[in-house]
Amino acid sequence: MAIMQQIYKFVSSMKTGLVLLLMIGLASAAGASLLPGTFFKTAFFEALLVLLLLNMTLCTVNRLKTTCRLLLKHVGSRAWFRQAGILLLHGGMILILLGAGVYAFQGQESRIHLCAGEQVDMSRVLKVKHPFTVRLNEFRIDFNEDGSPSQYVSEITVLEQGKKIKDISVNVNNPLNYNGVKAYQSSFGHLVEVQYTAKNGAKQIDRFAEGDLLEPANTDRTVKIYRYIPNFNPAHGMNSVTMRPDNPHIIFSVYAGDKLLGIGTAKFNEPTRIDEDVYLVFKGVEPYTILQVKADPGLPLALTGGILLLLGICLAVLTAPAKKSALVHDL
Amino acid sequence: MKAMMIIIIYAVVFSYLAAALLYFWGAKQAPWLKAAFVLAVLGCLCHFAALVLRTLLAGMLPLTNGPEFLLSFTWFTVLMYLLLTLRYPLKSAGGVVMIISALLVSLVAFLMREQLGTVAPLMPALKSPWLTVHVITAALSYAAFTLAAGLAVMQFFPAGRAIGDDHLYLLVGGGFALLSLSIVLGAVWAEQAWGRYWSWDPKETWALVTWIIYALYLHLYRSREWRGHNARLMLIAGFILVLFTFFGVNYLLPGLHSYA
Repeated sequence: MAIMQQIYKFVSSMKTGLVLLLMIGLASAAGASLLPGTFFKTAFFEALLVLLLLNMTLCTVNRLKTTCRLLLKHVGSRAWFRQAGILLLHGGMILILLGAGVYAFQGQESRIHLCAGEQVDMSRVLKVKHPFTVRLNEFRIDFNEDGSPSQYVSEITVLEQGKKIKDISVNVNNPLNYNGVKAYQSSFGHLVEVQYTAKNGAKQIDRFAEGDLLEPANTDRTVKIYRYIPNFNPAHGMNSVTMRPDNPHIIFSVYAGDKLLGIGTAKFNEPTRIDEDVYLVFKGVEPYTILQVKADPGLPLALTGGILLLLGICLAVLTAPAKKSALVHDL
Repeated sequence: MKAMMIIIIYAVVFSYLAAALLYFWGAKQAPWLKAAFVLAVLGCLCHFAALVLRTLLAGMLPLTNGPEFLLSFTWFTVLMYLLLTLRYPLKSAGGVVMIISALLVSLVAFLMREQLGTVAPLMPALKSPWLTVHVITAALSYAAFTLAAGLAVMQFFPAGRAIGDDHLYLLVGGGFALLSLSIVLGAVWAEQAWGRYWSWDPKETWALVTWIIYALYLHLYRSREWRGHNARLMLIAGFILVLFTFFGVNYLLPGLHSYA
């Protein structure tokens, strides 16, 4: 029994908590430098966070007891508010860690690609209780005068069983929030429309993603649609001058088997020669949006924790004892 | 307008350096200290003028790139110091505070002057009302930590001891509250803009490391485990982390916070 008490005392002590905090700080600094990106998902680091959560929970419960005792002693409202603030801020941190834990176990995340007019059934992407459909009406990039992007906008309609529920303009800083699912403007891309003669002899227009291979008829050469450059300038090479389509070009490469024959740039709507009497025409590009979709049941918990943390810290700092003697005798 | 800003910033650096010299030199003579105070106030006014000019040039508060943030946070540092001297006997710490501020402002004049004269439109992720409050709280917390480190250095010299360590503790408590505000408000913003409230981005990680060292200081000081030398050394270490969180992350480590 005595041993159990010792263990409890050790696990719940503030000293243990501070050592854990120090270890998390040192591990974060080292991990961020040595293993950026992966370190924070390792079992070692997650174990540290779980231990901190356990320690802080026990420590705060103990503190609650002493605070209650203090309450009975008529210590004055200032000291009382300070104790309440300190409790709140630790409670807030516990909630934040719990919220992150809920996400680790219950959270879902995926990315969807949509061209204008396309729609996706959310139940195919995430496990959702109330299925709904998201349709993209338009994706556009707004530009500043200097050609830099000012905003990425996905005009979206939310549908349930074919019935329109609402329209929303999703942009960076304004996600869709519906039925516990959030959709964030995450990225975008372009499909390239190419007119060519296929191997079966049919003349057709197809859409290709950047990096796709195309096999035209009457030649054994293949074409790689390498990249769409909205504002091409040879001096900038493969990099677009700005993202605004002031001088759109396609960069492509031609192969015979595995052998690279050459790399070229092409304007839109001009015949581009691939081989003798073999041409293709780049007709244009179709933008698509990439939305990050996420269900995080821990988010309300983490948000509440954040608010409590802030309230608690402000309360504790504003009621900090101004007199030296009071500070020394402060709990 | 750019040339004028550079001239004003040189004037700021000069005033702060001169004030620092007088603070050190005239440590015990009232007239010198008064002159130092006047120079510091003049520098602070010029510094404010530079911030106003930049605001007029950019059409928004100077909080969005490296030099703007550096100018804002050093101005908060000096302002905070001058306001505190009205109430507490902090004159002897003036030298250290003024030297640190002069060095930081001179970085803007020497290394970042190009950015000072150009205005680039805000990128989409920054177009949010959270920007102002997230960055201002960060700048204020950096200012409090800078001031705390400056005062901590002076506490090592018996002659320079200006205020009790307990007052330092209160100042750090304020800085810690502001840093917490900045981190939590930043997380709320990041959830909207980037789709996650914590990404272990270098800035986030190093801000957390900074937050942890001050949290340790507050706990250790409060429980009377570490006072005196050790506590002051922690404040100086914390300030080095603050500088790294700003310079190291902005200029060495690429990440979501690379706006410099």
